[in-house]
Amino acid sequence: MATSMAAALAASLPAPQSAPTPAAPIYEAIPASMSKVIDIEAEIPVTNIQLDGLVVTKIMKHSRDAQPGVALGLLLGIDMDGTLEISNSFPMPHVNEDEEKSTKSLARYQASMLRSLKEVQADDSVVGFYQSTTLGAFYNQALVDLQTIHQEKLRHGGIVIVHDVPQAARGNASFRAFRLTKEYLEAHKKGKFNTQSLMEHRLTFSTIIEEVPLKIRSNPLLGAFLQTLTAPGESRVPAALPPSFSNLDLTPVGLTRNLERILEAVDDYKTEEGNLAYLSRQIARERARADAHVAKRKEENVQRVAQGLAPLPEDDVTRLFKIPPEPSRMESMLLLGQIDAYAKSLAETSSTGLVKMYAANAGASV
Amino acid sequence: MPLGPPSSAIHLQSVSNGGTANSSRTVQTVTIHPVALFSILDHYLRRTDAQERVIGTLLGTRTETEIEVRNCFAVLHSETSEQVAVDMEYHRTMYELHQKVNPKEVIVGWYSTGSDLNTYSALIHNFYTHDTAPHPTVHVAMNTGVQGDEKPGVKAYLSSPVGVFAKPENCVFIPVPCELRFNDAERSGLDLLTSSLESTSLTTSSPRSDLEVLERSIKTVMEMLDRVLAYVRAVLAGEREGDPAIGRYLMDTLGTSTEGLEKSGFASSLQDTLMISYLANLVRAQAEVSARLQLVPSV
Repeated sequence: MATSMAAALAASLPAPQSAPTPAAPIYEAIPASMSKVIDIEAEIPVTNIQLDGLVVTKIMKHSRDAQPGVALGLLLGIDMDGTLEISNSFPMPHVNEDEEKSTKSLARYQASMLRSLKEVQADDSVVGFYQSTTLGAFYNQALVDLQTIHQEKLRHGGIVIVHDVPQAARGNASFRAFRLTKEYLEAHKKGKFNTQSLMEHRLTFSTIIEEVPLKIRSNPLLGAFLQTLTAPGESRVPAALPPSFSNLDLTPVGLTRNLERILEAVDDYKTEEGNLAYLSRQIARERARADAHVAKRKEENVQRVAQGLAPLPEDDVTRLFKIPPEPSRMESMLLLGQIDAYAKSLAETSSTGLVKMYAANAGASV
Repeated sequence: MPLGPPSSAIHLQSVSNGGTANSSRTVQTVTIHPVALFSILDHYLRRTDAQERVIGTLLGTRTETEIEVRNCFAVLHSETSEQVAVDMEYHRTMYELHQKVNPKEVIVGWYSTGSDLNTYSALIHNFYTHDTAPHPTVHVAMNTGVQGDEKPGVKAYLSSPVGVFAKPENCVFIPVPCELRFNDAERSGLDLLTSSLESTSLTTSSPRSDLEVLERSIKTVMEMLDRVLAYVRAVLAGEREGDPAIGRYLMDTLGTSTEGLEKSGFASSLQDTLMISYLANLVRAQAEVSARLQLVPSV
């Protein structure tokens, strides 16, 4: 259960390779008649997201079933006048170790699912994906990579919806929509995330991803049905859906685990920093050696010229000394983002805990 | 929790295995998860004009006496006065696709909208019986409450052959108790959806922070207390006749002991919580500073 973040990251690494292939057929799957309509609308940027009640329950079910793993699925819908309406979704099967095969079968699964949904008049254009997370820490390489691909392939870049499972169990179903920022995409285009590039684009973990306002919509039929479920029945028959007060529970849930996760994330970050420091030391050493070599050659040449001999040719330093490229700082940045997210969720839990304690105390002293 | 209007049906359990073939015990309850219900409603909304009702396959798990419907998918079918056709290939494909994601969920039955049970229902039921054999097939009929003055609700049925010679179009649909089931996580999702019912607009904004949710709950509790207080005062003043059952419930609820919250316990727990809060904020500050320091050019 307590998978360290590093392990999770390592496990999620195959995903980027498997992702491009399934993403491609989606784009072409948009029927010709629709693409015209879509192109007209594509000029209006998406400013908010509207999530259907059905998708809310679907994501929650899948996220819960997939625990302790991560649930991943695709969102279907359409964008209208700046609002991205997500009307349906379907889960993606868990990716196996066998990459080559699973990539193909995933693509087949997706194409087949979309075709089937279309037959029953459901929406079949992919607008993004959803992912489950624990304690708010959704920053990881796989998510960012997948979203990068989507943002290039899908219209409007697509969005990712993150659902927090433990938070939902605490009584607050949270759905948040995100997309990558322009700065990140620019940096990604150049393909490097070294210190220089990060500085140019002013990238920190909080500027990689931007949040998009999200609304939950229940269609009138669903609303009417829910209304009957919540209405108390006649003659003391309790309603099918009585009001719940589970979030007033005083026992703090998952505080220990949250703290453990923070510690793990900090450890991972420290390891990553160590690696970066080691690499940068190596770079500095190689560079110093190269510089020394060049200086020495220059000195020799000066002497040779003084002795009246022909100067030696200046060697290509890059060929003699292999200066390793500067390491990507993406990983460490994402880890920082995770630490921040865990701490944020911890802060939130403790603040609600405080309120609940005072509320209960007020009740007790009466 | 029961779904739909109460029925007058008495749910008898046959001791011998006469009704449903081969199963050692009969199914006593059918539970449905919200996601399945909502999928059915969505499917109903997306039907074509020609379709009177829509049908689909129910997926779930079963124990000896209970069938738990956890998911469902739409199936194409056509009904005319002469014949009924179900797209079997579509059904197979969708089932295989669902199996890839969640192999534990198997076919347990089928759903249709509307509450009519007719010959076609029996035929479709017969078709699904082949998929679920040797276990009994459950049929969930959802009344969407759109037609006529019928109340929305969900009913579940099992089938039993009837007549001297068993024919596919002959069967008796036996009602089974049907309940809505959800876990904590699904519960909070439902809360999110029901909270949108109170406002006039169809949408609610999300995310809400934990504190907002807590605030709402506390407000609801305060409203309830006010209501109870008003009721008690009315009874005391003799304006209303007191209900002994309600009085009993109130005594049980309000008499709950709060001894665990004596002063010392509160103080130490307060310290712990504050400590964690400080720690969390410290970590956040450090992370932010660290991220920004990376952007500072080293000269």
